[in-house]
Amino acid sequence: MVKEINEKNFESEVLNNNGVVVVDFWANWCGPCKMMAPVLESVSEELKEVSFTKVDVDENGVLADKYEILSIPTLLIFKGGNLVDKLVGFTPKDVLVQVINKNL
Amino acid sequence: MYDIIIIGSGPAGLSAALNAKIRNKSFKLFGNKNLTNKLDKAPMINNYLGFYGMTGREIRAKFEEHIKEMDIQITEERVNNIYSMGDYFAVMVNEKVYETKTVILATGVEYGKQIGGEKEYLGKGVGYCATCDAPLYKGKTVTIIGYNKEAEEEANFVSELAQKVNYLPMYKGDYSLNNKIDIIKDEPVKIIGELKVKKLILKNSEIETDGVFIIRDSLSPSELVPGLKIEDNHVAVNREMETNIPGCFAAGDCIGKPYQYIKAAGEGNIAALSAVKYLNSIKK
Repeated sequence: MVKEINEKNFESEVLNNNGVVVVDFWANWCGPCKMMAPVLESVSEELKEVSFTKVDVDENGVLADKYEILSIPTLLIFKGGNLVDKLVGFTPKDVLVQVINKNL
Repeated sequence: MYDIIIIGSGPAGLSAALNAKIRNKSFKLFGNKNLTNKLDKAPMINNYLGFYGMTGREIRAKFEEHIKEMDIQITEERVNNIYSMGDYFAVMVNEKVYETKTVILATGVEYGKQIGGEKEYLGKGVGYCATCDAPLYKGKTVTIIGYNKEAEEEANFVSELAQKVNYLPMYKGDYSLNNKIDIIKDEPVKIIGELKVKKLILKNSEIETDGVFIIRDSLSPSELVPGLKIEDNHVAVNREMETNIPGCFAAGDCIGKPYQYIKAAGEGNIAALSAVKYLNSIKK
């Protein structure tokens, strides 16, 4: 499952999470984001120990600015509240799984 | 859902299509009716086994005859992106989506020279789809380097959202751009910045900009297939023509030198047979 989060709960959901969290910055006008969504869902079913979240950049401009999101989809990977990896653009399942595993 | 989608109608793509046809797979071949522009430029080909002392155009006539005989059609549509969805691929042609179990990339190497800093700042202000990322540039300055008329539509769209749009046409003609857009006739040299893009250096001047979008006629394989592994500017493959993405194969000039017709045709053959092998393996 991919949980929709926002500016208000970003800290509790991502920064205060001790585990690995994937944050998908997306918007509903973005074609590649639509293709990314089912891939993320599928990976989230396989890697239960990782939290999957998504941030709508239209409604959360502050977060998009803070993390310098200049192209979407962008996936940020946090571990213990620290940003450890960034994937810009559509990312195929195998590549995403590899990057997450590297950070586990 | 197709078994195989082949991108490119040079010798690698045609040879792959031939083998897909012989192995009775459902497939689609994207390319041009003139097969490849490269054949126009070859004055004499003497190292293609069985065909010697021929011009590029004469060889093309032979290729055409062969695919016609095999009843292979070429689809002349521009593929925007290919997404690896896990157990299938989504091949995007504007609003249309073709689904396929495997992909063979045979795009050749004619996708234009890169601009300095382009790769470095990709996703950090450099992009290839202005309409996709335009809303992230609200109140910011965007520069569009357009290699064709279609880029003008992108510029017009972006100008409704960004604070300022510069347009660098890389072609001659009349421009249908709205009057908010500044047309700059100069040559891009280098994109510079720190963590993200700050400036575009031109031959005769420089512009401060937050984003640079480059709209070319054809995309390089790594832009076409996000996540594809590239080595030394070519698609990385093994001897089976497998890329780093399962079900995605590549052949011909796009995987590396020598850029020769018979080498490309041989690789197209391997790629198609590997795709068939892969299709058999996922059936189980």
